[in-house]
Amino acid sequence: MERIIILCAIFLMSVFFFKWKHRDGYTNGDGTHHHKIRHKHGEGSLIDFYAYASKIRHWNATFKVSLSILILILCIVFDNPYVSVVIIIAMAYLTVVKGELSVTEYLSILAIPIAFILLGTFTIAIDFSKQPMGQYNQYLGLGYVFTSQAKLKNVFFLILKVFAAISALQMMTLSTPSSEIIYVLRKAHVPKLIVELMSLIYRYIFILMDVYTKMKNSAKSRQGYCDFKTSCYTFGNIASNMLVISLKKANAYYDAMEARCYDGDLIFLEEDKKVETIQIVTAVAFIIFLTLLWIFT
Amino acid sequence: MGKLILKVEDLYYIYGNGKSALDGVSVDIYEGEKIAVIGSNGSGKSTFFLNVDGVLTPEHGKIIYRDTVINKKNLNELRKNIGIVFQDADNQIIASTVRAEVAFGPMNLKLPKEEVLKRVEEALTYMNISELKDRPPHYLSGGEKKRVSIADIIAMKSEIIIFDEPTAALDPLNAQILEKVLLKLGCEGKTMLISTHDVDFAYRWAERVLVFCEGKIIADGTPLKIFQNKEILKQANLKQPTMLEVYELLVEKHLLEDTKVYPKSTQEFKKILEK
Repeated sequence: MERIIILCAIFLMSVFFFKWKHRDGYTNGDGTHHHKIRHKHGEGSLIDFYAYASKIRHWNATFKVSLSILILILCIVFDNPYVSVVIIIAMAYLTVVKGELSVTEYLSILAIPIAFILLGTFTIAIDFSKQPMGQYNQYLGLGYVFTSQAKLKNVFFLILKVFAAISALQMMTLSTPSSEIIYVLRKAHVPKLIVELMSLIYRYIFILMDVYTKMKNSAKSRQGYCDFKTSCYTFGNIASNMLVISLKKANAYYDAMEARCYDGDLIFLEEDKKVETIQIVTAVAFIIFLTLLWIFT
Repeated sequence: MGKLILKVEDLYYIYGNGKSALDGVSVDIYEGEKIAVIGSNGSGKSTFFLNVDGVLTPEHGKIIYRDTVINKKNLNELRKNIGIVFQDADNQIIASTVRAEVAFGPMNLKLPKEEVLKRVEEALTYMNISELKDRPPHYLSGGEKKRVSIADIIAMKSEIIIFDEPTAALDPLNAQILEKVLLKLGCEGKTMLISTHDVDFAYRWAERVLVFCEGKIIADGTPLKIFQNKEILKQANLKQPTMLEVYELLVEKHLLEDTKVYPKSTQEFKKILEK
C-alpha cells in the first residue's frame, strides 16, 4: 500500500514538474502569443484534432490499436495495482513525451473520465446503516455513513485499474485518427456493414456539426437565443431543419458517389505503415515486464 | 473539329414533384471541345449534367457515347468516361483522408493497387495538393476542398470532365488557379463542360456556349455569337461580358476602329489599344 502511494506521488510530481517546465518555456519565449487548441463555441469542435497533431501518428495503426487493447486486457486480467500504476505512467509517457501532446491538454482530456470514475467509485466506498459500525463512520441525521480501510484500499485499487484501462485506450485515440482505427477493424474482419457505417458516420458527423454551427450562428445573429423560451424554440427549429438537410445531403452524396462508379461496395484506399522492429521489441519487453511485475507482487 | 464523342438526343426529365426539368434537350459534343453552359438558376443545367452522367435516368431520350447507345447495362461505361466535379465539394468528399478520397474513383474502377496509388500521386501533384494527402477533409479550407474534388475526377482519367459551377465560392486567387488548371486540361485534349454564371469567364474561356432556359437549349454557338445576341441574353436573364460591352461602346462612340477583332481578356484589349 505505502509503496503504491509513493509511486503515485512520484508520478504526480513528475507531471507537475513537466507542467512547470512547460510554462517556463512559454514565459521565456519572445513574448509572442501562443494559440492553444481549445474548444470554442460557435466554430464547431475538434474531436480528433489531437490524433492528427500527434507525433506518433505515423506509427503503424494496427500496432497501436493492438498494443492498447492488449494492455487494456492485461490491466483487467492481472488486476494488480502495481501493473496499473506502471501502465498509467507508460501510457502518459507515450502520449505526452512521444506524441508531444501538452501535459495540460492531456490532463484536461483525462479529467472527463476521472470525474465519472470518482463519482462511480464513491458509492462503492461508502455504505449506510442505522447503527454506528465500520472503522470510520459519520452520523447524518437519518443514519450512519460508514467505511473501512480495507474498503478504501479496494476502491483506490479499482480507481487505479479503471484509470489505467482508460489511459491505454486514450493513448490509442490520441494518436490514431478514426479512419485508421476503422481500417484496423476492417482488417480484423469486423462485418463490412459495421465498418462502412462507421466510416460514413465519422465523415458525416463533421458535416452535421458544420451545418449545425452555421445554423446556430445565423440564428444567434438574429436574436434566436435571446432568452430561454426563444432558445428552446430555435433549437427545435434547427433540429427539424437538420433532418431535412441531412435527407437532402444524403441524396446529393449518393449522386456524387454514383457519378464516380460506386456500385454498392464502399472501398477506400488504405495503406500499411511500416512497423519498426524497435517498437515491437519495446512493446513485447513492456508486456513481459508487466507479467513479471504481476508474478512477483 | 474532332470526332463526335457524346450525342444527346431529345432528353426529357421530370422531377418527382411533377416539375419538368429538361424539356427536349439535344446536343452533339465533339472531342476536345471547351463548352460553357450558361443559364439562370433552375434552368436545368445541373439536371442535364446528372442525366448525361447516368446518375439520373431520363424519362425519354437517348445518350450515345462513342457509337454505343447507353442503357442500364453499360451505364458504368458512361460514368467511367464522364466525370463530374460537383458544385459543393462537401457533397462530394466522402473518405476521411484526402488520399483515400482521391482514390475512391479509381478503386471503384477496380484498378490494381499500384495503378491506383500512381494515379492518386499524379492527381495530387496535378492539383498541387500533395502535402495535404494525409489531412482529413474537415480540416481543409474551401479552396483546398475544391482542389481535392477536382483531383478526384482527374484521378479517374475520364475523357469528358463536367464542372458544375466551379468558380462559385472561390476567392480570386483560387479562381485563377482553377482557370490555369482548366487551360492545362484543355491542352491535354480533355473535353470539358462548365456550367457558370460568370459570363466574363465563359466569354474568355469557352469555344462554344450552350444557353439553357427553362429546360431547353435556346442557343448554341460561339461565345461571340451568343453574347452579341441581346434577345437570347434577355430571354435567359444573362448579361453581356464586360469586355464585349466596353469594346462595343468604344466602337459606337468612334473611339476605336471596328476591326471585328474582339478582345477576350484585358491583355488582348491592351494590345488593341496600343496599336
